Amino acid sequence: MTTSDTYHRFLSVIELHKGIIYKVANSFCANAEDRKDLVQEIILRLWKSFESYDDQYKYSTWIYRVALNAAISFHRKEKSRYHIQTPLSEGIFNLPDMERNHLADQRTMFLARFIAELKAMDRALMLLYLDEKSHKEIAEIIGITETNVATKIGRIKQVLKQKFAQLNT
Amino acid sequence: MEETNFVLLWKEQYEKIDQSLAINRKILQELTSQKAASTLQSFIRFKTRGMIAAVIYLLLLGAVLFYAVSHYVSAANYFIVSMGAIFLINLKALSDYIRHVVLVKNIDYNGTVTGIQEKLSGLQLSVIQHSRFMVLQLPFWTTFQLSGTWFPHTVGWGYIIFQCFITVAFGLLALWLYKNLTIKNVDKKWVKVLVEGAGGKHLVKAISFYKEIEAFKQ
Repeated sequence: MTTSDTYHRFLSVIELHKGIIYKVANSFCANAEDRKDLVQEIILRLWKSFESYDDQYKYSTWIYRVALNAAISFHRKEKSRYHIQTPLSEGIFNLPDMERNHLADQRTMFLARFIAELKAMDRALMLLYLDEKSHKEIAEIIGITETNVATKIGRIKQVLKQKFAQLNT
Repeated sequence: MEETNFVLLWKEQYEKIDQSLAINRKILQELTSQKAASTLQSFIRFKTRGMIAAVIYLLLLGAVLFYAVSHYVSAANYFIVSMGAIFLINLKALSDYIRHVVLVKNIDYNGTVTGIQEKLSGLQLSVIQHSRFMVLQLPFWTTFQLSGTWFPHTVGWGYIIFQCFITVAFGLLALWLYKNLTIKNVDKKWVKVLVEGAGGKHLVKAISFYKEIEAFKQ
């Protein structure tokens, strides 16, 4: 397979799963500039590991693994270290402003805020749960047992419920 | 709020975004073709600077050692043995440094999140292993100045006892540090103090994240 074929296959996979990359970047970076950097970092990491992609897993599992690892690392490191040396002037994703306004709904804003307040690993877990991944798939992505996935999700949901309940009081 | 509502809320938030999200293909192509090497450049550069400093230091040690061996006199026995040991220990530290850079370069993020994050934290914490090995050179810094022409036969017992005490004390301290300066002991205050001194704030962050993953896995 030529480099061009590989690139086109990569492009179609990214096209099909771009929502995952956007969701992960959006959940780990509140700042638009950081988000742009993180999207670039995720795409680079995906491109680097594309040739070693193991087809026993779904593309979405592979993308989630790489994207979450990149996002957690990005989140952990000091910004200066991880800041891409030669930033691109434009972002990879274009999103019309009117669509961005969907985020302005109050309940969704609170959900996004509460998720952003979770610890990095809990946040990763919750993203997968909200994307309706099975416990088996979550376990494969995160690297813990299915039982542990169920227990942790239960606990996090309790925390979120309490936070929403506090809003109403 | 019912649990299903979380999922619905999330779906509602991202469904339309997903449909409208467009990829800037030109930027994507530019990124994958030209910018692929930039990801960890600053980190690699940091490590490379360390390597250059270590190479210069080793060259200096090597030059001094070479001179002492090529102009051998029995008076330099202590110096040759001490400098030889210091040279070998620093050589090992440099090889660890190079291994570190290679490992960082080759990390594939396509692995479980806990696995990769543990690996990354472990890599950051490997500086502890570097410093751990480096401490073994401590006792040799107490013997390199001795000369076979005057030690031990021309000095008094007081000096011999003092020299032995200092060398044994540094030797024991080195062994104790080597045994205890491990990732398992990162919670201990003195390890944190040493680590902060050796690698700065990001290592302390790495330690707490390492602990967070350990706790998360249970």
